[in-house]
Amino acid sequence: MDDKRARFEAEVLPHLDAAYRFARWLSHAPGDADDLVQEAILRAFRAFDSLRGSDVKTWLMAIVRNCHYTAASQLKRRAFVPLPEENDAQDGYAMTATTPDPQDESIRRDEQRTLDRLIAGLPEEHRTVLMLREIEELDYRQISQVTNVPIGTVMSRLARSRAALKERWLQEVGGEPHAVR
Amino acid sequence: MRCAESLRVQAYFDAEVDALTAAELERHVEHCAECRALLQDLEQVRTVLRREAGVVRAPAALRAKIMRALDQEGAADGAARPNKRASTSWRMRPFRLGMRPFWVGAFGGIGGTAIAAALAFFLVAPRLTDPLLDELVSAHVRSLMPAHLIDVVSTDKHTVKPWFAGHTDVSPVVADFAQAGYRLIGGRADYLDHQRSAVVVYQHGAHVINVFSWAGAERALPDNVTRSGYHLAFWKSGDLEYCAVSDTGWDELKGLVSLLRDLGEGDAGAGG
Repeated sequence: MDDKRARFEAEVLPHLDAAYRFARWLSHAPGDADDLVQEAILRAFRAFDSLRGSDVKTWLMAIVRNCHYTAASQLKRRAFVPLPEENDAQDGYAMTATTPDPQDESIRRDEQRTLDRLIAGLPEEHRTVLMLREIEELDYRQISQVTNVPIGTVMSRLARSRAALKERWLQEVGGEPHAVR
Repeated sequence: MRCAESLRVQAYFDAEVDALTAAELERHVEHCAECRALLQDLEQVRTVLRREAGVVRAPAALRAKIMRALDQEGAADGAARPNKRASTSWRMRPFRLGMRPFWVGAFGGIGGTAIAAALAFFLVAPRLTDPLLDELVSAHVRSLMPAHLIDVVSTDKHTVKPWFAGHTDVSPVVADFAQAGYRLIGGRADYLDHQRSAVVVYQHGAHVINVFSWAGAERALPDNVTRSGYHLAFWKSGDLEYCAVSDTGWDELKGLVSLLRDLGEGDAGAGG
């Protein structure tokens, strides 16, 4: 038991941030994401003994997704991501607040907020595939396992979400993204 | 996006095709303006997303809540084991993680594993029960709470290093490695191992790396371990002991450690 907890902390908890980001893309409010992640981690802990193979991240992400759909079907609600509010800026961006140049930082914040809004506007099944690929850097097979759709579907959703994001980004920001860093 | 090859070009971009197909697609892209534009678009979307959207991290409060929930889960599973869990788990983990594959390889199948394990346990256990590990993780988590990270905000080592002289008992290696992706963002004083230790704070991508330093004692440093999801890398340089703590990957953390170690070779010493 003690050993199980220790192995769990060493192998699964390094993926907590990834699980949290995924939960935020899936669920409809940061508070919900908290509950979702906690539920998923506990479920992962209970199932940890039966985990075979080394792809812990994919395994954990699939559990997050399953928890989400269990909760969503219970509540019979459509999952969506809220549009970020002005006051939300601190939430989740605490790390970048430590950078020294406030002007660059404020432009950067604006772009982050715009991007967050554009991402939130994508259909959930497109948004999750896109973010699993670009941010979590899962490959097609892993995304297919996490989202439970065939690889061909992963590919077409990726293509559509990338094209849509590019289109919307150009409309909003109008050209090349501001060069920061 | 109407070219029949667009999905395969995307797969090429995502490194999902074998070398033969890759060569074939590269030839195709040379002749297909549409797919050339597609590759540029894919690159642009990736750049923007990775730069702007990857910074969200699980809040420290959530992390703490999950750890408590796991404590309860463990307590519910086990029989009555008053106060035993915490002390045992720390002792067992590094042994299990670090030593077992080696011993299993060396003794597997000949019944020596148990003896070897017992031996390893006694060799390794004394210095891994070090409360220092708990102190370091707590200090790291505390630093991530709002307004706790940095006492002296500066990207200039000539500002950070002298500040330590007045506020801590040690004078560690301080440098900015922005070129290598490790940006110096400041310094902090912390009480650790019964002394006023110096903490140099770096930012790597969205992650904070705290580099703790304190005057060394006559004892072995703990091995590198992972605790509560944070990696701890230890090393010695001159009279000082260092520990880098972060939730970055091991490779990223070790990258900074090796940069600091290289510097420390030339600049070793306390009180300087």
